[in-house]
Amino acid sequence: MIKHHPSADILIDFAAGTLPVAQAACVSAHLNYCDCCRGSTEQLQSIGGVLMEQLVPVAVSESVLDSILARLDEPVPLSFIQQRVRHRRVDLPGLLNRIINGDFSQLAWKRVTRSLSVSHLQTGDDQREFALYRIAAGGNIPNHRHGGAEMTLVLEGGFSDELGTYHPGDFVFRDASDVHAPTAIDGEECICLAVLDAPLQFTSWQYRWLNPFLQLQAG
Amino acid sequence: MMDDKKQVEQRKTSWSAPTGRRTDEWSECLVLIGKTNDRAAFTRFFRHFGPLIKAFALAGSSLSQTHADELVQEVMLKVWQKADGFNPEKAAASTWIYTIARNCRTDMFRRLQKFDTPLAADDLSIELEDEEPFAVLHTRRGAARVKALMGQLPPDQAQILAKVYMEGKSHSEAAAELDLPLGTVKSRVRLAIQKLQVQMARV
Ligand SMILES: [Zn+2]
Repeated sequence: MIKHHPSADILIDFAAGTLPVAQAACVSAHLNYCDCCRGSTEQLQSIGGVLMEQLVPVAVSESVLDSILARLDEPVPLSFIQQRVRHRRVDLPGLLNRIINGDFSQLAWKRVTRSLSVSHLQTGDDQREFALYRIAAGGNIPNHRHGGAEMTLVLEGGFSDELGTYHPGDFVFRDASDVHAPTAIDGEECICLAVLDAPLQFTSWQYRWLNPFLQLQAG
Repeated sequence: MMDDKKQVEQRKTSWSAPTGRRTDEWSECLVLIGKTNDRAAFTRFFRHFGPLIKAFALAGSSLSQTHADELVQEVMLKVWQKADGFNPEKAAASTWIYTIARNCRTDMFRRLQKFDTPLAADDLSIELEDEEPFAVLHTRRGAARVKALMGQLPPDQAQILAKVYMEGKSHSEAAAELDLPLGTVKSRVRLAIQKLQVQMARV
């Protein structure tokens, strides 16, 4: 049972298509787990449909219709057919496919501390880092703050921090001011997807020397 | 083919019985396009939605007339190619075509800005499945309700929804354009969503 969801603002921006690509990918991954937010997203999209029908129409020339009619016999892209099979689709770009199918073995993991590794993924978003974090069983991410917003989705295992306990599918959004120290639970390793606007900054003196190694790897 | 049709018929009756919902003109049109490749139906659909897609393309964006026409073409071609996946039990025609237009516009913006991403907008959008739990499908009646309630929204709330959905502005861009604090924009949007009776998970 999913207990932690994106806020209304985030889901609305997602439904209206205004969320930056890295964040949209994280929300989309949450929807894969969450019936409730899938239902809300669908309703929020219907607002777009209603508003579009209320726009003042702008005339389209007949030549546009003619050129579309001339293209109707083009073969249908294979991906359109596959998409209908399930929402856990087989034709996703490698990155999301791996995330959704839980295949983390082929990724390049970089060790940050004894119990924390990170793997950066490319979304093309040059303002945000999109990465998987792997916390060893019982290990933690040292106390840190963020220079910007952090979106997290639990993929495997779970973690807890000062504010709660999170399991697969749970979505957590923290802004710049929050300081926290997530700890993996249940004696099993935890894998999370995180989207950061700014790099983590460790706040305790033992780890502060690592900060230069955590520069944002957007893209 | 026959079996598919039969299944659709069965689902239609089992769906419409409890709710009394009838499919609207454009949903029927999409079903015709999907099941029988009906070009006359497609032309009718184009004459209604083409000018709306063009208006959507030009709303609050820097797209030229040429790009707007190009967007109409892209969207309508997708309508033709994807129509047999349209299920009137699950989505209103207007919602269905809005998501296609939204995704095409996002991808076109990114193309024009040379923003290089492995993720197309379609890859991130969620299509509901036939075996969705009732709680998800239940929301399907939403479009008709939203349409009815939209007319009752105060103008300041309707204006911001239009900025976000039609002009594709984020909450903070809308705030800057309307010269309002971000908090005001967020609360107006939330109020509007409540009035439209969108059900959200508790965060
Ligand atoms: Zn959710």
